[in-house]
Amino acid sequence: MTKPQSPDEKPRSPQELLPLTPPVFHILLALAGEERHGYGIMQDVARQTGDRLQLGPGTLYGCLKRMLAARLVEESDERPDPALDDERRRYYRMTMLGKRVVRAEAQRLAGAVMAANARLAGGNI
Amino acid sequence: MTPQSAPMGMFCRIYAALLYAYPRDFRLQYGIAMQQVFRDRCRDVVRTPGRLPMLRFAIHLAADWLATTVRENATAVWSAGRKQTPRNFVTEWAVTIAIYLFATTTLVQAYVVPTGSMESTIRVGDHMLVDRVTFADPGTVARHILPYRQPARGDIVAFLYPEDIRQTYVKRVIGLPGDRIRLDKQQVIRNGSRLIEPYTQHIATYPDAYRDNFPLSPDLNTTPRGRDMFEHHVRNGEVIVPADMLFVLGDNRENSEDSRYWGFVPRRYVVGKPLFVYWSYDAPTADLQAWTLNHVLDVAQHFFTRTRWERTLLVPRSQPAQEAGGVR
Repeated sequence: MTKPQSPDEKPRSPQELLPLTPPVFHILLALAGEERHGYGIMQDVARQTGDRLQLGPGTLYGCLKRMLAARLVEESDERPDPALDDERRRYYRMTMLGKRVVRAEAQRLAGAVMAANARLAGGNI
Repeated sequence: MTPQSAPMGMFCRIYAALLYAYPRDFRLQYGIAMQQVFRDRCRDVVRTPGRLPMLRFAIHLAADWLATTVRENATAVWSAGRKQTPRNFVTEWAVTIAIYLFATTTLVQAYVVPTGSMESTIRVGDHMLVDRVTFADPGTVARHILPYRQPARGDIVAFLYPEDIRQTYVKRVIGLPGDRIRLDKQQVIRNGSRLIEPYTQHIATYPDAYRDNFPLSPDLNTTPRGRDMFEHHVRNGEVIVPADMLFVLGDNRENSEDSRYWGFVPRRYVVGKPLFVYWSYDAPTADLQAWTLNHVLDVAQHFFTRTRWERTLLVPRSQPAQEAGGVR
């Protein structure tokens, strides 16, 4: 007899979560290479977008809360960042699902860009 | 400002207080981390020179706080529909609303300038946010946690007009308690030194001995408070500012109804310090005192052309005048 799964544990297809909001997309990208703490994510998102997307603390942790619930990211451990002060910070890393979702979103965006280029190539706009 | 300086500690405490607007669960889970992020970001911002990054950070943070408190509370209510008792989210919203009210009434206040007495530092139609913390009455409890200081010479202050406290005026502080003030040919002489005031504007439409050579000859335009100043606080042709009072003048020196006419401003009438102009709209004085239907229509029609865009986010500067030396 198999154990019934709770709705939260049901494996989800990445497509169900698309499209991602810009903050969620960029937070995932920030965690693609390495695990980071909150401020690290904030700085990396600013770098990725050339300072156009500057996450506030409320937006950042609101997104992280929802991303944790959706199992896109998970908490790593709590440790100090040698570059800042000796306070302990909570680090986050991307899950396998998160990796699949951000890849699917990047593909979706690439498709959108291709469609846009095809339409705009005629020079009417 | 060094990264560990006192103002930063105070900013962090203010931010910690603002976190109470988030739902309890969210605050308990992420509050500490949000404070850490705030402090890290603050530290980076104070390292960048200039005031603009600081201002941009403050506005961005306020917008983030407002948007996310609403969002998190709405989410909390939504999910509470199934899990919590109704009482919990009623109290959570009550706390949030109380904090919004605290922030809008205690920390800052919006104010529109209806007259030209501070031209050209502050113009008619400038809509400003006034910081109510810096000069807050020393009696408040908040004194110990908020960045509080006494008004200094050269500060621009917003205060309740002593003759009618329903009106708020904005002027520049010229004399502190104990200062001796007089005007000689439109120039202020404080404690025997002539002031060089680059921020003033001198447009005299008619000569006025009282206005320009205060307080040598009494004037009929003075109010009871002005006459009281004249009778009790003038010695050897100079006004002496009494304790707990301020002597203020407008920057548009010849077109300003100020301490020369209605006397001193009691220290406790000082409301705050103008922070920045958030919207400057070219409109006549009468329209700016109340939102009439005509004014609404006028704004709707001319919003883009009559808004002085270049004044948006302008910071009216406090500027201590230089003293040119004795004139005795």
